[in-house]
Amino acid sequence: MDRKKLYKGWEEQASKELRDKNLEDHLWETPEGIKVKPLYTEDDLQKISHEIGLPGLPPYTRGPRATMYTNRPWTIRQYAGFSTAEESNKFYKEGLKNGVMGLSVAFDLATHRGYDSDHPRVVADVGNAGVAIDSIEDMNLLFDGIPLDQMSVSMTMNGAVIPVLASFIASGEEQGCPREKLTGTIQNDILKEFMVRNTFIFPPKPSMRIVADIIEYTSKKMPKFNSISISGYHMQEAGANQVQELAYTLADGKEYIKSALERGLNIDEFAPRLSFFWSIGMNFFMEIAKMRAARYMWSQIVKEFKPKNDRSLALRTHCQTSGVSLMEQDAYNNIVRTTIEAMAAVMGGTQSLHTNSFDEALALPTKFSARIARNTQLIISEETGICNVIDPMAGSYYVESLTSSIVEESKKLISEIDEVGGMVKAIEMGIPKMRIEESSAKRQARVDSNEETIVGVNKYKPTEKQEINILSIDNEEVRKRQVSRLQKLKNSRDNKIVESFIEKIKNAASSNENLLEICIEASKNRCTVGEMTSAMESVFGRHNLSTKTISGVYKNTVKNDGKIDIIDNELSKFVNKKGRRPRMLVVKMGQDGHDRGAKLIATAFSDLGFDVDIGPLFQTPEEAAKQAIENDAHVIGVSTLAAGHKTLVPLLMESLKNNEASYIKVICGGVIPPDDYPFLYDLGVSKVFGPGTNIQEAAIEIINLL
Amino acid sequence: MKLKSYLKLFKISNIDFSKEIGISNVSLSRYISGERLPEKKILNKIFKLTGGLVDANDFFLSSSPSRDLSEIHKEEIKKMVLNIRKGKLKDLAKAITLVESSLKLHKAQADFLLSKLKQNKNSLRVGITGVPGVGKSTFIETFGMSLIDLGFKVAVLAIDPSSKRTGGSILGDKTRMMKLSVNKNAFIRPSPSQGNLGGVAKKTSESIRCLEEAGYNIIFIETMGVGQAETTVYDMVDIFLVLLLPSGGDELQGIKKGIIEMADVIIINKADGNLKNTAEITMLEYKNAQNMISNIREDISPEVFLCSSTESIGITKIWNFIKKFEKIRRDSGSFYKTRIQQQTKAIWRNIFLQSQDYIENNLKYKDSVKKIIKDVEKNNFDVNNASKIIFDSILKRNT
Repeated sequence: MDRKKLYKGWEEQASKELRDKNLEDHLWETPEGIKVKPLYTEDDLQKISHEIGLPGLPPYTRGPRATMYTNRPWTIRQYAGFSTAEESNKFYKEGLKNGVMGLSVAFDLATHRGYDSDHPRVVADVGNAGVAIDSIEDMNLLFDGIPLDQMSVSMTMNGAVIPVLASFIASGEEQGCPREKLTGTIQNDILKEFMVRNTFIFPPKPSMRIVADIIEYTSKKMPKFNSISISGYHMQEAGANQVQELAYTLADGKEYIKSALERGLNIDEFAPRLSFFWSIGMNFFMEIAKMRAARYMWSQIVKEFKPKNDRSLALRTHCQTSGVSLMEQDAYNNIVRTTIEAMAAVMGGTQSLHTNSFDEALALPTKFSARIARNTQLIISEETGICNVIDPMAGSYYVESLTSSIVEESKKLISEIDEVGGMVKAIEMGIPKMRIEESSAKRQARVDSNEETIVGVNKYKPTEKQEINILSIDNEEVRKRQVSRLQKLKNSRDNKIVESFIEKIKNAASSNENLLEICIEASKNRCTVGEMTSAMESVFGRHNLSTKTISGVYKNTVKNDGKIDIIDNELSKFVNKKGRRPRMLVVKMGQDGHDRGAKLIATAFSDLGFDVDIGPLFQTPEEAAKQAIENDAHVIGVSTLAAGHKTLVPLLMESLKNNEASYIKVICGGVIPPDDYPFLYDLGVSKVFGPGTNIQEAAIEIINLL
Repeated sequence: MKLKSYLKLFKISNIDFSKEIGISNVSLSRYISGERLPEKKILNKIFKLTGGLVDANDFFLSSSPSRDLSEIHKEEIKKMVLNIRKGKLKDLAKAITLVESSLKLHKAQADFLLSKLKQNKNSLRVGITGVPGVGKSTFIETFGMSLIDLGFKVAVLAIDPSSKRTGGSILGDKTRMMKLSVNKNAFIRPSPSQGNLGGVAKKTSESIRCLEEAGYNIIFIETMGVGQAETTVYDMVDIFLVLLLPSGGDELQGIKKGIIEMADVIIINKADGNLKNTAEITMLEYKNAQNMISNIREDISPEVFLCSSTESIGITKIWNFIKKFEKIRRDSGSFYKTRIQQQTKAIWRNIFLQSQDYIENNLKYKDSVKKIIKDVEKNNFDVNNASKIIFDSILKRNT
């Protein structure tokens, strides 16, 4: 029978089942703007624009290796940093005993921003969200008893990438491992920092030069080391949809290639060492299609630079399950979410994977939750049989169609970037940041109006409260230990030699000398991360972000189910009573640059009719208090995601009190362990909002509070 | 003449006078202090008894600032003024809130507060305008910091647009003034444009006076360069700066031509990197165009400058010109003369605002007015006659 007729028969049957509903209404438009049909057939396979091919061969759509998991499964690589080098070291050793195959280091925010632990601006940041590394001494402790010539190490570092990588290399050599034997990855992806994560230090131009320095050095001296991990992860975390994540990441990659070529490198010298990093969220098939589309598109992009080695065309990637998909409410659901996301990453053909712990929306993982996260991967790998077949999704009518749609949509975004003259330019103009924030506001509006379901959050809410044990860190204790270790280091080293290296680094920064090379020697001679950074800073300057905001997107997307009317009503009552609109200052204090939450709150609340002040990133509590008083805000909204609240909020309250401004109310939002709520309420905080809070309900609560 | 002065002049005791009119002594002292207004009947009696020397106006004029204010509120405000002079941020910030507020009580408090402030002749009020993205905040950051280094105290009032639809706003100016916003000698206050009836911009001159009382001697007023706010702000400042982007052509960059004509200083900003050449061409174009425009100041012509806030180019030249501008105009007396003229304009602006307030919050709700409007809706009445009758009713009310 003719295929067309077969399809027609289905249509009739389906229409019958739908009765008075229309088949057209069953088109699903994804957040990326892709229209998904209820049924895909052989016909759709004829229309795809990408080439499927075979694994291990260009264009690598089916995977970068010919054998994929049939020979060796992906690497289980759990990202972790436990405030001090000693504790992290213990965690790594524990993991290695239990099936983890590679290490992944998370650094604390002070290190990311190139401050030593004794710097006054980082009082609340030391040991938060990762390990504090001030010098080679800390590196030595971190890898104590872990043979670096056998263990691959991945380091999430972008801002202070030179001093940290230098300390790592130097530490390896002190351990007896020559640099050419080091394996692993350094994230070194500064462009996305300017776009979403904000842990940059220097302005874009010198930052790009540093990236090139590292690519150049590793391609010549460290052949087994991945010089860069071009990351879409943080974009999706910041609210980007999958097409944006893919397109902007590939465009970043293109920019890095260009800057390495400008350095005089040959494409085949470094392209095989470029790696990628995706976030895997809950849109199962979309994620699989994204990973396949990425490999196809990257091969096409690199081809333009005329490589001779086919390996230059292959995209290798690390994946992590999505952090924003984790919810504070009904937190055990997160185990299930992570499992589904891990499945998508595996079906999509990842080379290594991190699975989140279910309590990460509340705090850093405990031993127990970290174990479940690891086991999730071990179960998929060893109990399901998935590893026995390469790229099982290939040829699926739906997945191949979706892959093709993603390729087409991403191409549009990439050409928008190309038109303005590349990613650096586009970032300066704020294009990608704005588009991502737009998506983020739209998504929040969909969740707030129940158009997108999150089980346990906006539907099927639990009736009883669950107790979850979480890990809390005494940040002050960690800081004291780091500071005393720094003191010891500074007393025992030869400070004259240190001085001379500081001069050498300055000279290298103002000339074309490779900064990594000189910093390796500087680390060996006990220069600290902060000292090396400020030497470079004296030449490059420190970058300040000008914050751009969007408006109207939330209001345009959200459906009015009566709450908006309530808010309008409450607002006009407020204005009649107080003579102006409620004014809220949204602040981010400390070195935590994740401003997705703060931006989202700002744009949504102003759309709802508040006057919203925003503070600069990286404020101190005193600066935040001054701003709130000057602007005469009714309330300060503290956005915190990096556990700094226990130090920063008390300082903020104190500062308000000292200025006789305790009439200004304080509320907190973000990743705050429920165990800390009483602590905050005792300080006088009026309200704490966790992840997954409905913004409209929060708005009503805040108006009533004032 | 005031009743108090009349009684003093003719040596009449309060008790005697109250008996003559037929009111209690307490009521009389309330009339004298301005706490309460005499009714029409009493007014007539006073008028007759004093032979017309004390009339209704004498009560209205004396009572205006403090009419609705209790003693407690007055004390609060007096304390606030003292604290402002001492440099307490909190009180300065609260004062600006009162000035901007739409609440009746706040307005009365603000009126009383303003009556307690001194005139400051030494400050310099600088208006800055330009389209979004031209780099106003970054310019003020660089310029303001260099002024602080010279020993000045700098204040910035930024007027940000409110959303027409939701009324809310995002005020992000300080994110672009990172150094200035944390400096002890700087005060930055962004205000939403729709915060007050008729727009906050119209209340800016009052905010300026609060800042001057607190000792800020250079005050920047930043506006968007696209709307009505600029003309209003122009009438409050001593010198007016317009920032432009480097771009050729006669497309006036989205900024209104009238605004450029008001400029004392035109600044082609972002003259750095590969925009440098374009900036120079733009500067020439504006220099040529300046010849065509008649000078608004009689004693000094406007000038055009190149500037890069990120590379700190042009800042010194601009400051030198501003100093020259100020000196010439202070020496000739035109500096102060302009301020006097601005005061007259401010009186009419305030009257206009108050009338508008009266219309919005009072007149529109009157039964007689509502009835007339109903009649117009039903076509029983034409628009012209209806408006005339309503307007006449206002005039009658006040005579």
